[in-house]
Amino acid sequence: MLAFLLRRVAAAIAMLLVVGTIIFSLLVIVPGDPAELLLSTGGGSATQEAIQNLRSEMGLDKPILAQYFSFLINTARFEFGTSIVDGSSIADAIALRLPRTLEIIGVGTVLALIVAIPVGTLAGLRGGGRFDVIASGVNALLTSIPGFVVGTLFIYFFAQVLRVLPAGGYVAFSDDPAQHLQMLVLPATTVALHLATIIFRMTRASVLEMRGHDWVRTATAKGLRRSLVVRRHILRNALGPVITVVGLQLGILLGSTVLVEFVYNWPGLSGLLVTAVEQRDYPTVRAIILTVAAIFIGINLVIDILYSLLDPRIRLK
Amino acid sequence: MTAIPVPQKSRLLSAIPRRMILPGILLAALILIPFAAPLITGADPVQISVRDRLALPSWEHWLGQDEFGRDRLARVLYGGQVSLTVAFVATTLACIVGTLLGLIGAYFRGPFEFVTTRLSDVVLCFPPILLALLVVTLFGPGAGTLVAVLSVLYFPSFARIAFSEALRVSSLDFVEASRALGTPSHRIVLGTILPNIAGPVSVQYSLTAAAAITIESGLSFLGLGVVPPAPSWGQMIRGARQFMNQDPLGILIPCVALTLTIYAINFFCDRLRDTLDPKGALGGGKDETSVPVAARVTPPDETADVVASIRDLRLQLARPGGPVDVIQDVSLTLRANQCTALVGESGSGKSLSSLALMGLLPGAIRQAGGALRLRRKSGQMVDLGTLTAKELEDVRGNDVAMIFQEPMTSLNPIHKVGAQMVEAILSHRPMPYADARTRAIDLLELVGINEPARRFDGYPHEMSGGMRQRVMIAMALTCEPRLLIADEPTTALDVTIQAEIIELLQRLRTEYADGLSLLFISHNLGIVSEIADRVAVMYSGQVVEEGPVSQVLNTPHHPYTVALLESMPSSHEELHSARGDRLRAISGTPPLPDARPSGCAFRDRCPIAIPSCADAPPPLFNSADGDRKVRCFRAPEAGSEAAR
Repeated sequence: MLAFLLRRVAAAIAMLLVVGTIIFSLLVIVPGDPAELLLSTGGGSATQEAIQNLRSEMGLDKPILAQYFSFLINTARFEFGTSIVDGSSIADAIALRLPRTLEIIGVGTVLALIVAIPVGTLAGLRGGGRFDVIASGVNALLTSIPGFVVGTLFIYFFAQVLRVLPAGGYVAFSDDPAQHLQMLVLPATTVALHLATIIFRMTRASVLEMRGHDWVRTATAKGLRRSLVVRRHILRNALGPVITVVGLQLGILLGSTVLVEFVYNWPGLSGLLVTAVEQRDYPTVRAIILTVAAIFIGINLVIDILYSLLDPRIRLK
Repeated sequence: MTAIPVPQKSRLLSAIPRRMILPGILLAALILIPFAAPLITGADPVQISVRDRLALPSWEHWLGQDEFGRDRLARVLYGGQVSLTVAFVATTLACIVGTLLGLIGAYFRGPFEFVTTRLSDVVLCFPPILLALLVVTLFGPGAGTLVAVLSVLYFPSFARIAFSEALRVSSLDFVEASRALGTPSHRIVLGTILPNIAGPVSVQYSLTAAAAITIESGLSFLGLGVVPPAPSWGQMIRGARQFMNQDPLGILIPCVALTLTIYAINFFCDRLRDTLDPKGALGGGKDETSVPVAARVTPPDETADVVASIRDLRLQLARPGGPVDVIQDVSLTLRANQCTALVGESGSGKSLSSLALMGLLPGAIRQAGGALRLRRKSGQMVDLGTLTAKELEDVRGNDVAMIFQEPMTSLNPIHKVGAQMVEAILSHRPMPYADARTRAIDLLELVGINEPARRFDGYPHEMSGGMRQRVMIAMALTCEPRLLIADEPTTALDVTIQAEIIELLQRLRTEYADGLSLLFISHNLGIVSEIADRVAVMYSGQVVEEGPVSQVLNTPHHPYTVALLESMPSSHEELHSARGDRLRAISGTPPLPDARPSGCAFRDRCPIAIPSCADAPPPLFNSADGDRKVRCFRAPEAGSEAAR
């Protein structure tokens, strides 16, 4: 088990290094002078002086290898430098906004799991039956609605027509817990809806596959109660693949919540990111993406370990 | 994915399955309508008319006008053009690049393989939208950037799929053969491998197209995709958001267009997947076991030594063309202390007959007649069909237990061996865990497992096949059943291990206190002659011969039994008298249940068939002393019965 853990951690660190290197080299391979490129927002070209300033600020005047190593070292220390737009600390901005993003992802994921796993299991156990056909049909429709469309329609129905929930915005939990939770409902549900369709599909497929295995027949032949057979010999086995998918999706969600946050005006990482992209604030964009990729890799590491606890055979591979 | 290892170039084109017609039409319509925009409306999608902002639908503007007074119908249609073009161009690029990379990696292996797989791993590590935003930061928004970003995002998934599928295909015989014949690599890759991986790749293509539309519209919604004033669905939603109060139509129209298009692609993709891989298609949605049915007539009383009986069992398989009999009029009586063997070729119905006794028939099989009766521990004989689901659970494992053919897959890989035994014990006999554990360890010792206490805490994958089969036997014995069904328990094992397992079963029979009845299913007549007291030979869903094992195997009366014995290499001297010394294959194959010949099911392959064999199916003839039964007009029993 220890060897397995070490292997996984080493692989994760290697992956981080590769990701960092790629993000770094993107700036190098962009044709032309990056500083000039980044300052060319408004169409008109920037002054020579401004370009020079930015070059030295970003360390672009140093040799590439030196730039690369200082980039790696700074990143490892969570020193992301300052925004080229207003000079504020990027690390501070991320530390302020990341928890808000994680909050809607976390709540959304829990909601999705609570709904999708039981429904997916039931559909899988009755594969091809009426419940399965209806659930799968509804699921196929829901899968096809992009998150920002769900968000926009939610705002229309719940905030404009029914007027039961706020259309968006953010109040810190410490300032007004009730208001905070009210504002959390729609963004979290939007995230949950999309995730739930994926978890449903995976759970259903996994249960369908597992229920056909010989050991399920053995368990039934032993005279186990049906509920025990389902819980211990179908569901328990089916959860491995589901957890893997949830992990992958969490990583992808870190990206797609950009849209959900934008729709609901939820001041998470996305506001920072979208503004940074619009203003071509490359250091900020780079820092956010590095953070997210690191979380992504971290989640996958956790998932790998969880999976190995669920299925002892994995540890051998 | 179940592979059909033959070249399949025109499988998609030769016959478009009916299931593909509806999604095909829907998808084609949704793709074509935007491109027919000039035929549908003459309006200009970028023509601003501030006077008419947010105008309701009118004769000139069917869907009304947007916040700048632009014609909404024209914007939805032309916006669809932009979205679809971006998505499909990007997907096509990604598909070509990814598939080629995958093919090259799989065909040439070595460094190509490394590059293909690692490249994919790295790209897959970025959340897609973020990678897109990163590139937009550097290159600025616009349709061209979008196409580039999306193709980079999606080529890895194509490379992955093409790689693993091509790896599978290139190890198939016909690919190896063309390689050996010296066919140039590019011809093999493009001419032979590519058509064979087209299925999974096309599924991936539609999946990707749907995802690309989602991301394109998402970026445009953020204002970072298609540059205004060019219309796109994401942008229309973005623009209409501020006015959703006055003008809900403004958000509804692009939302519906976008969702419908993605839905059509997904729908098409799901059906395509089902068509290419019918394994996923399901029938009925029934629970996985079918319920035994009570007998309509009360069967005659059994003597006290009868442990179980099958009377005139008929099982049907549900088929689109109507049910087909897979088991016809099978009767068997199992007595205490007796081992009955059920032999026959695969598909003859041996396993189904035994599963029926456990109430474990697959959902697609229905009991159409006959009775399944079992003696419970109380001494009472019950018809399985009269039991509730709960009572059936009580019977299984307690009154009758079963061991299966495949010890490698019959134990759940993620639970410890001991836990799987204990749950069986506790299901039938509530007792403290520690007692159940002791009992399980004792049983493991009984079946000859070394260090039983250590194995109790081990996982199935830490054991050999022989050991797992011993565990299965121990598990079957946990609640001291009167009847043990062994469904080809040694088929999957090495010959030496086979002998050990047979020995173990023999030993258990003699050591078992109350007398164990064993139903032993096998196609190995050598083992049967060693272990069984009686034997029933099955052919095409019927018992064709039954009797004491020494008589049936030494002087077989049914031509099929004769043929079985002749086809079997055996070191058992006693069997040689029956077959001379030649080893012969039975000509022909057993008929499928829906294509049995009229009359006797065996007559097509029978060396002694006479014309009248085709007239009527032979009944089961009894021998004079009633101890043997044969289903053949030409058997001695037929004569003796006629004589009476």
